[in-house]
Amino acid sequence: MVEMELKRDRIVIRLGTKKWEWVLEPRYWRNTLIWVALLFIAPTVCYFVSPGLINTMISANIYAAIAMPLALMTIGTGRMNFGPQFYIGVGGYTAALLSIAYGWGPLTTLPFAILMTMIAAFLFSPLVIMARGLYYVLLTLLLPLVFLEVTFIYTDIFKGDTGLFGIVPLLDTGNAKNNFLIIGYLSTVIMFAYLWVINKVLKSRYGLLMAAINDDEDVAHSIGININKVKIIAFVAASTMVGIIGWFYAHYFSSFAGITYLPLTFMLKILLVLMIGGRAQIFGCVVGGYFVSFLEMLLIRYMGPIQPVLFPIILLALLFALPEGLFGLYRKRRYREYLPTIHVRR
Amino acid sequence: MTPLIKVSNLVKRFGGIVAVNDVSFEIHKGETLGFIGPNGAGKSTVVNCLTGYLPATSGKIEMNGVDITDMKPHQRAYMGLARTYQIPRPFPELTALTSVLASSIAGKKRINQSFQDAMYDATHYLEFVGLFSKRNILARDLTFYELRMLELARALATTPQLLFIDEVMAGLNPGEAKNAIHMIARAKEQFGVTIFWIEHVMAVLMEAADRIVAINYGAKLAEGTPDEVVNNDDVIEAYLGRGWREYA
Repeated sequence: MVEMELKRDRIVIRLGTKKWEWVLEPRYWRNTLIWVALLFIAPTVCYFVSPGLINTMISANIYAAIAMPLALMTIGTGRMNFGPQFYIGVGGYTAALLSIAYGWGPLTTLPFAILMTMIAAFLFSPLVIMARGLYYVLLTLLLPLVFLEVTFIYTDIFKGDTGLFGIVPLLDTGNAKNNFLIIGYLSTVIMFAYLWVINKVLKSRYGLLMAAINDDEDVAHSIGININKVKIIAFVAASTMVGIIGWFYAHYFSSFAGITYLPLTFMLKILLVLMIGGRAQIFGCVVGGYFVSFLEMLLIRYMGPIQPVLFPIILLALLFALPEGLFGLYRKRRYREYLPTIHVRR
Repeated sequence: MTPLIKVSNLVKRFGGIVAVNDVSFEIHKGETLGFIGPNGAGKSTVVNCLTGYLPATSGKIEMNGVDITDMKPHQRAYMGLARTYQIPRPFPELTALTSVLASSIAGKKRINQSFQDAMYDATHYLEFVGLFSKRNILARDLTFYELRMLELARALATTPQLLFIDEVMAGLNPGEAKNAIHMIARAKEQFGVTIFWIEHVMAVLMEAADRIVAINYGAKLAEGTPDEVVNNDDVIEAYLGRGWREYA
């Protein structure tokens, strides 16, 4: 008969003289493959079962893809940035304005969106050297709001009140359902690319230097880390990654309005993703992204107009109930990493 | 022979308060220089100025003949300066091994050093201070003595020429303090570092130091061998007060 045995780190299955083992460890190669395969099969399944879910999946992937660079930025600069959506605005408006003015497609606008976010991030990067703690939070919080005001003041350029329309769509196969499916896969690819890159960075020597800066900036400086360089690189790189998401939004919806992304409500969602995932843990960001996106879908469907009020309440409740996040639940039971996971306590 | 560090007319002011007033001294290669003074004399400020944590108001600091007065702390770390703190400041969320690994990667530039090489290095320094068995424990969970040792390992892992030690005895019991002193002596022997040692406990410096510099109110009082310094009238007055002769 089949015998199953649950050990501390694996499930052992025996049948006669044969034996199979399944290691319960997310970084074990087979489990990683299973998760990746699941996320790649899901859009196809949704395509046949309920095409609307692909939309939810796309927003889940994109939330995760915003939260992961934010996690990198938080660790690399040792500060909590409350305004990453500013760079969504910069990337999105660059792509949208160029596409409308010159009729450029997404591949042509991408380098310009990247360039503009890099320049904007570089201009504001002195913040990570000059401002600390509450001042940094306030300044980064204000940036997107100021940008939102600018879109209303120069409304003939940015169309702050109506939004920009007529952007060349990301792709056009002629069938809306097929478009959704392919964009769903594209968002999954972006999310996994970010996950892979940021995981590699955090596991490398630069990740270790960032962890040291995250823990104690002065000591990190005195052991020979060029903290200003590391902080600025982390800030600019992460901001650029967020800017690419702005480009994606602009071409995905064929329209772009600052009022959708720049206000605090959008930031709150990203914060929820980051916190539910588990304090700037990048694998947690994926879990958090899917959690928040599906929660949002359910709230909109069943709660209606009260939905924006429920979001912060859920965030607060989860901060109390799960201080380490969803991924932290797993981490606590199976803490076997050789290099420690970097914790953000802000 | 050029001295390892030459401090000339170092002044540090905080607003109106003169914390360090016109202090000049030299540190020679291979020696242990003791640095004493009553509470608030400006000992830690001198170390902070030398390691670049605080910019000097005026004066000049030279290392091997190179002016390092305006260098940033990380540049001084590349030159070969390392320090420990009076109150240990570990990286609380990193394990003992990774704390040392970070400074092994970040310290003085070593050519073609891979991540694994740095890991071997870090393991060696951790073993040297006797924390190998605690290598996978988060630094915030270590005891006070272990934190002191971790700081020493972290400082040594940057391969310094000169190590600033700030009050190694504070907060340790006699047995631990003895171990710590022994460890510093071994570090000097094995890694060839020069040591600049701030300490309150005179007995330690009497044995360990080759020379002693005494300061009070930010100004240098005396400099010389330990015997000369402890018998210096100014030094005794600084510690015991002006009327000490009446009770002697």
